[in-house]
Amino acid sequence: MRVQIKIPPFLFQITKGVKLTNVTGNTVGECLEDFVAQFPPAKKLLFNKDNKLFGHIEIFLNGVSTFPEELEKPVHDGDTIFLLYLLSGG
Amino acid sequence: MTAITRKFLKVNLSNGEVVEAPIIEQVAIDFIGGSGFGISYLYQESKPHTDPLSEHNTLLVVTGPLAGTNAQTVSRWMVCTKSPLTGAFARSVCGADFGAWLKFSGYDFIMIEGKAERPVYLHVAENSCQIKSADELWGKSTLETQERLIKLHGKNTRVACIGQAGENLVKYASVASARRTASRCGGGTVMGSKNLKAVAITAQKKLQLQDPDTFNKLVKEQVKLLRASKFYHHHKDVGTTTTHDVTNPLGIYPVRNFRYGQQNDYEKLSGEEYRKFRTGDFSCYSCSVRCGKKHHVKSGPYAGSFSNGPEYESIWAFSGPIDNTTIEATIAADQLCDDFGMDTISTGNTIGFAYELYERGLLTKQDTDGLELTWGNHSAMIDLIKKIARREGIGNLLAEGTMRVAAAIGKGAEAYAINVKGLELPAYEPRGAKCLGFNYATSNIGGSHGYGYAPQEVFSSPIPRQVDRFAEVENADIVIYNQNERATRELGIICAFSGMMGWIPELYGKLLLAATGIDQIADPGYLKMVGERIVNLERAFNVRNGFGRKQDTLPQRFLQEPLHTRGAPGEGQMIRALDAFLDQYYKMRGWTPDGIPSPQKLDELGLSYVVKDMGW
Repeated sequence: MRVQIKIPPFLFQITKGVKLTNVTGNTVGECLEDFVAQFPPAKKLLFNKDNKLFGHIEIFLNGVSTFPEELEKPVHDGDTIFLLYLLSGG
Repeated sequence: MTAITRKFLKVNLSNGEVVEAPIIEQVAIDFIGGSGFGISYLYQESKPHTDPLSEHNTLLVVTGPLAGTNAQTVSRWMVCTKSPLTGAFARSVCGADFGAWLKFSGYDFIMIEGKAERPVYLHVAENSCQIKSADELWGKSTLETQERLIKLHGKNTRVACIGQAGENLVKYASVASARRTASRCGGGTVMGSKNLKAVAITAQKKLQLQDPDTFNKLVKEQVKLLRASKFYHHHKDVGTTTTHDVTNPLGIYPVRNFRYGQQNDYEKLSGEEYRKFRTGDFSCYSCSVRCGKKHHVKSGPYAGSFSNGPEYESIWAFSGPIDNTTIEATIAADQLCDDFGMDTISTGNTIGFAYELYERGLLTKQDTDGLELTWGNHSAMIDLIKKIARREGIGNLLAEGTMRVAAAIGKGAEAYAINVKGLELPAYEPRGAKCLGFNYATSNIGGSHGYGYAPQEVFSSPIPRQVDRFAEVENADIVIYNQNERATRELGIICAFSGMMGWIPELYGKLLLAATGIDQIADPGYLKMVGERIVNLERAFNVRNGFGRKQDTLPQRFLQEPLHTRGAPGEGQMIRALDAFLDQYYKMRGWTPDGIPSPQKLDELGLSYVVKDMGW
């Protein structure tokens, strides 16, 4: 499947200002693998040492949260993925 | 009790008078509750240029319209007053369950004026209030004060109180309830100046809603939405203990008194490291998130220290400013500040400032009672916290906050004083998170992240739009959006964290309507307008006290020194267009180039009665 990743500002430094990129995969996880292959330094901001998605990263597919399936969520041609930091500073 | 009691208590500590007063219908419609009641009544009661520490200052302890209900994350409360730290409007929000108890007692808020001759506390029970001697409580910690009052008045008692910092008029003293605090702007100092040690409320849990069936259905829907949200589960797991795992690589974690945007070895303070000290969770009233994390130090020089925290801001306050990476010291420092009743942000920031003055020779070992204020020296930080709370030695000076310390020392010290309007800045570097930076500059309470947090640049939130966090003038609309949103959210005094749990856009207005029966709330645009009304009335309060464009500024460091991020994004960033930003911000707000709300804007917001106070 051909999917677009709308790159969030916290990754702009890594993508050298690129704000949109195309990836391929059958699931959200495969799409992110392709994304990391294009921009390797993004890996440490998205995945922990055990290669699990950080708890503070939320993935939206076509504007809807993928939680709880997350990386297992199937994608379709033309879908858009967006990433968000889930933080709170009190 | 109803969700809006439409009553408040007016207490005059000078003459001992206690009056129960009605909240008139139109005020309830115009200001709804929470922050709305706070600024509305403070504006009415305060005379311009009142000395914040005089008997003429007014202190409001306010709960929200949803407090005490079974809705989640909505039972917070706040202190509103004129700040002794800034001389401007002050509001400081707190959790625990005091807000619910205030509602159960039958009042939406308590207004406190005057000054008692000797230490006193208020004991509020259902529809009654007595002023009682606090001679036995004076000098006690916030924890011991609460324990004693609960023992005296029974387990259905909740207490908001000050510690020694408030008694000693440390300018940034907090008000504590359980182990949560209304910390910012010196509300505890105002209580201390009135010889008011505590407000204790004894009440049974009961509440009457306008439309209980609808309300309960909405709460079920709210719980469903909360549990479907990833943030709910993430926040339940870690609270705010991992935020610095992200703000460091973003280059916005202020280090060495805001010289750097990233701390070396910050991994030593990671959320996972804090987890090793964790002994439990705690929550505010009717909140299943339980985001509060308890930490206990079991060995080493800080063995025995325990804290219901520290939260992100306090983790930073006791690490970043002095460049400390010892977790145990942050837990010990947090405990001390909670016991003394002292704002962790202002405390940590002021101590970081002292360390920089020491490095530059503007403070010497002779000035610091022999303490070596060298970067990373957490032992000296702990000593300084005690000295500040007790106003001992150098602590007597530091208790005044960075603005006054700089003025007292002179010799260019003000260049390193990191405050806005006198309120010390929190844990986000303004040169790397410029929406937050400009929010600090224009905030009506001074340098606070809570006044207009920018999730767009910290979390990459796309609402209302994505932002470039290094842009300046282009983001004036976002700063306004965030400040107005904050005010709207605080009408109900709902938790700032719940904004990311998916229920607010859908349910906030509906819950308020079902709780209060105020028809106008059914219109989402009405809530937003009331939020803007509140920001403008707060601004009018400040203008009436001599504030204007000149005070809407940032510390010299951010305007003249490039940020160093140690490899993170944002190296070399500065605030370059403050004036242009203010021009745009004021224009979009409908204010004059001097930062004064225009008559047209005030009329539009239903604040015509304020126009004459602005000198029009």
